[in-house]
Amino acid sequence: MNKKILIVFLFVTLPMFAADSQWVLKQSTLTYHVSHKLHESEGVSHAARGKGVCHDGQCEFLIAVAVKSFDSGDSNRDLHMVQVTRGAEFPIVTVRTRLPESASSSATINADLEIQFAGQTAQYKKVPFKVETQGADTHITGTIPATLTDFKVDPPSLLTMPVKNEIPVRVDLTWHQQ
Amino acid sequence: MPKNWPCKQIGAFVCSLAVFALAQVAPPLIAQTATEVVRGTVSDENGKTVANVTVTATRTDSGQKQTANTGSEGTYKLDLPPGNYRLTFEAAGFKTFEISSATVGGTESEVFDGKLQRSEPADATPARTQEENLPNAPSSSATAPSLSDLGLSPEQTQGNAREQALLDKRTHMLKIHQRMGLITTIPLLATVILGPGAGGKSEGTATRDLHVALGSLTGDLYGITAYYAIRAPRIPGTKKRGPIKFHEAMAWIHGPGMILTPILGAMAFSQKNNGEKVHGIAQAHGPVAIVTAGAFGAALLSVSVKF
Repeated sequence: MNKKILIVFLFVTLPMFAADSQWVLKQSTLTYHVSHKLHESEGVSHAARGKGVCHDGQCEFLIAVAVKSFDSGDSNRDLHMVQVTRGAEFPIVTVRTRLPESASSSATINADLEIQFAGQTAQYKKVPFKVETQGADTHITGTIPATLTDFKVDPPSLLTMPVKNEIPVRVDLTWHQQ
Repeated sequence: MPKNWPCKQIGAFVCSLAVFALAQVAPPLIAQTATEVVRGTVSDENGKTVANVTVTATRTDSGQKQTANTGSEGTYKLDLPPGNYRLTFEAAGFKTFEISSATVGGTESEVFDGKLQRSEPADATPARTQEENLPNAPSSSATAPSLSDLGLSPEQTQGNAREQALLDKRTHMLKIHQRMGLITTIPLLATVILGPGAGGKSEGTATRDLHVALGSLTGDLYGITAYYAIRAPRIPGTKKRGPIKFHEAMAWIHGPGMILTPILGAMAFSQKNNGEKVHGIAQAHGPVAIVTAGAFGAALLSVSVKF
């Protein structure tokens, strides 16, 4: 009898704690751009993982990507990038944001981002992203106006000339609603 | 000019002065009117408002600063001209909170709230994993996903101080390698330029001696440059890609070349001093030196300029 009560209780209460819907990152391309007087280089990662959990019309998103997963086509530069950003000590970059559930039906969204990178946290307010929805998939593109000083990263130098402070990160994500 | 134009009465010079003074005063007055109210509330990790927080807005393009303090209800207000700002929130007993990029538009009032975290005691043990370091993890909300929700294991998120130290040492040594390589280029070029004069028909030895001195300096500097590249620690599991492969391949040419060139040079120098014409294998000194210098230059350019 007690077992039956317990089962009924679980069936009634579990949905109360369950999320309304979830989003899973299906595909991702994150590209950082570095400018130097002699070089323009980009590092690309397709290894981001992400999840969004929606409750009461609000969705909390977390995206994480390994610092080492960025590939600029030059292993020496990539190792240097990992070193200056303290990527061995802080191996994961995380991006957190909260968006209304209705955002997926908008053509553009302005997201407040909290980014953890190189042992620092930076906030970016109202970063614009384009949104395209096809069925259960939502494609989001935009650029995060990141700078090296945001994360207290000393600018790497080549031939004693430092790179520019601006390191915009292009974001191209495909989310799948579950 | 109209008949009753005031400048007619007060004189052109005084009038110009007045117009100039007005021009100096007017733009700031206009600029002052085009400000926007930026307000917000500062709270701690428990959602409790914090008073006496210094909020500093720094304009990213000009570095101009404006500050305000939060009142008893944790609110602040700033009048800022449109632009991009960095907002910092500082209070005793709390970690500094920063909004790196806050755009003030110019049409409506903006709200930028601050969230402060209490400072850890000085003897607190530093957190080991990035998950633990996150100010928003464990999450403030029951619905927020965590790194473990993404399938990341503690091993993947945990920092490796030993590997970081290895990377730091590698970068430090390669920076010296790079600088020494650049410095080496100067006597190397001078030696190559003086080469034809040193091996010419002239009876004088001044150019030859200078060529030898510069060549010796080049060799010494090259040795130091090579040492810092060879001794820089290797990072396990790294597959070489890109221009560094060409850079290293060139070392297999300029490395032996830097040994062979002075040997052949010494032979040529000896033959010249004996009044003989440079002959035999010593004749290869010039071509070997040029190939060596070329490979050195190509190695330098391969990591400096994108082709």
